[in-house]
Amino acid sequence: MNSPLSPLIHLIDDDAAVRDSLALLIGTVGLRVQPWAGPQDFIAQFDRSGIGAIVLDVRMPGISGLTVLDQLIAEGVDQPVIMLTGHGTVEMCRRAFKSGAAEFLEKPVDDQKLLDALQAAVQQHVRSRERSRDDREAREHYARLSEREREVLGLIVAGLTNKEIGRALAVSPRTVETHRAKLFAKLDAESLAQLIRRYAALVEDPA
Amino acid sequence: MNPLRGRLAVALIGLAVAAIGCTVLVRSELASLRAAFETDARIVHRLLSQRSAQQDAVMSMLSLLQSGSGTDAAGRRVASVYPQILDLLQRHGDASWTEPALAAAEDESRRERRAALAGVDFARGRYWLVQAATPASHAAQIDLRGMVPWEEWPMPPETSPVRVILEYAGQQFLLQAGNTGSHSGFDFRKRLATESQPFDVVAARGIRWSDLPWLKMLGWILLTAAALAGLLALERQRAERRRAEELLRLGQVARLNALGELAAGMAHELNQPLTAVLANTQAAGRMLNDEPAELDSAREAMQRAAEQARRASGVVDRLRRVVERPDVSAQLQPVKLEVAINNALYLLEPQLQQLGIKPSLGQTAVSVLAEPVALEQIIHNLLTNALQALAQVPAADRHLDIGVRIVDDKGRLTVGDSGPGIAADVLPRLFEPFFTTREGGLGLGLSLCESLAAGMGGSLTAANRPPRGAVFTLQLPLAAT
Repeated sequence: MNSPLSPLIHLIDDDAAVRDSLALLIGTVGLRVQPWAGPQDFIAQFDRSGIGAIVLDVRMPGISGLTVLDQLIAEGVDQPVIMLTGHGTVEMCRRAFKSGAAEFLEKPVDDQKLLDALQAAVQQHVRSRERSRDDREAREHYARLSEREREVLGLIVAGLTNKEIGRALAVSPRTVETHRAKLFAKLDAESLAQLIRRYAALVEDPA
Repeated sequence: MNPLRGRLAVALIGLAVAAIGCTVLVRSELASLRAAFETDARIVHRLLSQRSAQQDAVMSMLSLLQSGSGTDAAGRRVASVYPQILDLLQRHGDASWTEPALAAAEDESRRERRAALAGVDFARGRYWLVQAATPASHAAQIDLRGMVPWEEWPMPPETSPVRVILEYAGQQFLLQAGNTGSHSGFDFRKRLATESQPFDVVAARGIRWSDLPWLKMLGWILLTAAALAGLLALERQRAERRRAEELLRLGQVARLNALGELAAGMAHELNQPLTAVLANTQAAGRMLNDEPAELDSAREAMQRAAEQARRASGVVDRLRRVVERPDVSAQLQPVKLEVAINNALYLLEPQLQQLGIKPSLGQTAVSVLAEPVALEQIIHNLLTNALQALAQVPAADRHLDIGVRIVDDKGRLTVGDSGPGIAADVLPRLFEPFFTTREGGLGLGLSLCESLAAGMGGSLTAANRPPRGAVFTLQLPLAAT
């Protein structure tokens, strides 16, 4: 019932019974689950490009879940991490969030809480992946513009009319109109509103 | 404070107190010696002055007597009363003295109107006293030693340390030798009060080492030492009490920590199955709500939930067994020790093989009175501990010795390993509940074993054995044969 492209949840817990039961529970909402018995295997092997989330037990033999979390963040892993703990202290919770955990849940965990957290995490991940894809595309499109077209785009974003732009650049409104049509085509923009939404940030911060 | 430095400070203070005390004692002793010496010297001076004055008076009286009676016999009678007068001479009219020196003295006597000295010979201890008069002058030869009133003398002349000398014009006459060749001491010099006999009374007293108050000083030093020893003992006692209190406090903290560990351990042990139970049942619920319901998967999830519930119950059961300390004395029966050992070894066979250990087992047959399950639990626990110790040393050094013997009408089982042994600070706490050196251990294994052994009328002890390793000894009453 699950397509290979549906989000994948990585579940890391050293206790087989806990691992299996949580995998079963997560599976009931249509999310795919990959269980891991130990953090070492997980870090070495998991697919960093996929969409999904990570569920990490804090108390594991050999290496603490908080240490694993630090490693993942340092590595730049963008999947949201949900921490699970048997007896969480305020300090532990504070450290987890500071390190970049998306959620901190206590065992035994209620199904609704866990599943809600997972859905939210997955959505957040999808959005963040889309946003970074959009950003990348916008940067690529922007790179195609000529120097003059970038000047014109800057003034359009600033809210100037064609006449005002022509006066500012000392060209005729007709020439402005030509630049305008070209840059709309190059940037693949369908409306002025879309143009401004996608490219305003690039113009204001051309770096 | 550093105990060594503290002790040194106390010793130095003690030394100072002893030295000050001794100085005070010596000074006061010297002061009293000086006072006694000066009193004695003054008495000597007074006595000799009195005698010389008396002699003056005798001479005057002789002149008066002869002027009254005109006979020499009266004078001789008077002189005989005084033993110091050795000889008495008379010169009438124009007669001359037998001794020429007496003439000069007579002239002086006439001039000064008192008796005058002549022929002073301290070497022989005598001198002449001349009194000029009319019609006859008298001269008396006086014995120096004889003029001393020994019966009133303030010192024992033979033993007194005071030296007494009469001096006149460079001549000396020794009245009392005292101690000579001694260290610096006291001096006294005073001329006799009679003008006619201007002898100097010279007294001296040397101070010898033996004059110092050694006994008193020794007493003081001993007293100081005793006081210091008492002080130190008191301090040591206080330090010991502080240490005992500290240990007590540490013990309480350790016990609290152990309880905290137990609670954390139990929480984890229970939390895992509870998490699985909850997840399984909730997953099953969701599967049943699916359209169509996934009955098989739901059934399987429920089965797993039940398993995990049993696991949790097992944890609680273990805890209860620890807490309840079952009374095993009621189920005592004869058990062959070697059978119990073999059962335990059989259970541990996989670990033994993994570690490459072949236990050496004594072949004595000993039957003890025990509860079989409790006995096997103890043996199992001891063997498990031994294996864990042996896992820490190289495979070639792993020896497990199991001995069975009868000692003092008791069955004795020993389990010895060649592991790292038991640290000295761990040994006394080994059987304490909740004490563990193992990460994640509850620290109840050996405590339970000891309780079980005691419950069966036996004992369990631990020791290190040379050259390396630990040995546990279980003693149980023998079964009646």
